[in-house]
Amino acid sequence: MIAYLLNLATLATVFGILAASLNLLIGYAGIFSIAHAVFFGIGAYTGAQLAILFIPDVLLACLAGGVLAGALSLCLALPALRVRGEYFVAASLGLQMMAVTLFSEAHSLTGGHGGLVGIPMPTLFGIDISEPATFLVFCLLVLGGVLLAIRMLMRGSFGRALMAIRDSESAAEAFGKDVPRLKTLAVGLGCTLAGVAGALFAFYMAFVNVESFTLEQSILVMAMVIIGGTATLAGPLVGVLLLLLLPAALSFLPFIPPTQIGAVQQLIYGGAMTLLMIFRPAGLAGQSTGRR
Amino acid sequence: MTDLPLSVRGLNKKFGGLTAVQDVDLDLQAGICTALVGPNGAGKTTIFNLITGNIPPDAGEVLVNGKPVRGMVPHRIARMGVARSFQDLRLFGRMSVRDNVLAAIEHSAWLWQPGGGAARRAREAAVDAALDRTGLTALADARAADLAYAERKFLSMARILATGGRIWLLDEPASGLDPHSRARFVSLVRSAVADGVTICLIEHNLDIVTELATRIAFLDRGAKLAEGEPQAILRDPELIGIYFGERRT
Ligand SMILES: Nc1ncnc2c1ncn2[C@@H]1O[C@H](COP(=O)(O)OP(=O)(O)OP(=O)(O)O)[C@@H](O)[C@H]1O
Ligand SMILES: [Mg+2]
Repeated sequence: MIAYLLNLATLATVFGILAASLNLLIGYAGIFSIAHAVFFGIGAYTGAQLAILFIPDVLLACLAGGVLAGALSLCLALPALRVRGEYFVAASLGLQMMAVTLFSEAHSLTGGHGGLVGIPMPTLFGIDISEPATFLVFCLLVLGGVLLAIRMLMRGSFGRALMAIRDSESAAEAFGKDVPRLKTLAVGLGCTLAGVAGALFAFYMAFVNVESFTLEQSILVMAMVIIGGTATLAGPLVGVLLLLLLPAALSFLPFIPPTQIGAVQQLIYGGAMTLLMIFRPAGLAGQSTGRR
Repeated sequence: MTDLPLSVRGLNKKFGGLTAVQDVDLDLQAGICTALVGPNGAGKTTIFNLITGNIPPDAGEVLVNGKPVRGMVPHRIARMGVARSFQDLRLFGRMSVRDNVLAAIEHSAWLWQPGGGAARRAREAAVDAALDRTGLTALADARAADLAYAERKFLSMARILATGGRIWLLDEPASGLDPHSRARFVSLVRSAVADGVTICLIEHNLDIVTELATRIAFLDRGAKLAEGEPQAILRDPELIGIYFGERRT
């Protein structure tokens, strides 16, 4: 039971980083990307390869995964600069689909459908941190750092500029905001953090394959952010806890046959999102302003 | 002539087959309020959009302080001191009143602003002053989207005030205001003019135009039909006929 809980807590922490990073895009910058799992995946593959080929240092893996995901985020920044709203959603969907194909076909880099197996135990400066509790503590520290950084940036001028662009791009421009640059920065930062989460995920799973980086994953993370509450610090975490604990809780309910859990889960997610958007559009942790 | 704050030469813009702006020349004299008057669809807002770089002109040029701004992106033109309001306000709706104004004056597109604490305090002082002059101090923490109509209009003025920009383009800033708010608005613009700000005001209410404008440019169907002192323009029966005639249809 303890092992199970540690496991769940680690997964929630990794997804907490991932959801917080997507919140940067969706909540603050108004960039509705449904390709976030791509950058999670890039971080995971990078971290995994680094560990397999060179050294399983988790800090190094996070750095490498973050840097590569951040660099490749230009693929997402380019459409984000040219189109908005539903057009960007479609463009990011295209990117997501392309990436899944590349992940499954680029055998030498990603191991194809089989994925990368045998990722060594994580170390930190040569010290083994593969013990579940130790690894959880490390993940929590990363999450804490990420949340602190996001909080500082979003309460400062960078956050205000992003929110201004989100609320009215033309007015932001008229008040001297370099919109392309700010958006590129936001996308770069959000995707870098997704890459960091990916690297941690690779060590957590000890193997990675394309199944974890599909459109469904992107949608799940987006659901976490939206249900929890966009543009708040706590929102994404609330969303993660809810959407990760829900399946766990459901599996304890005796009257749902195990084979149906997936379907029940989907119904609950879908229903919750629809109802929430109607009655509490700012999300669970968002300030309730009521309907005007 | 090059030291005019803003001048527009031979400006043309077509949207598909529709000529929105045709051969418009316009000079804003320093430190006065120039009104753009004309019926709906005359091309007034389009002229603002051409000046601020939001849309590219088909022909013609815009000079800010004598410098051509052709091909410049809007945020560069804004940083030359050109501040504008929008007919539909375009406030930063989910942000607080204070953050709306603060965001309007933080220009650095980096993770933080240069200049450290001193610069930050100067910005905060500018925000406080702008909120004070627009009567929004008590609402500083309210969400922009939750403000009442007149308050939103004043917030859009506060954003401009705080920038310290010397050229203001105001697109129907007083439309729909109650008489009391309108009087406050007029005194706000008057004190800006007294401070030497150059203003171009789009306004349908001819009383406000008479109160504020030193010059009027009259537009119809994209073309400038006349320009001059308010008395001359507003007493021209032909122009007034176009203005009220077209507005009724
Ligand atoms: N982006 C655009 N695309 C196509 N047509 C446009 C665009 N912007 C303006 N127009 C058209 O150009 C003409 C001039 O519009 P503009 O908004 O400049 O008028 P206006 O003088 O500001 O009118 P109002 O007093 O109603 O605000 C109108 O016929 C309008 O429909
Ligand atoms: Mg207009």
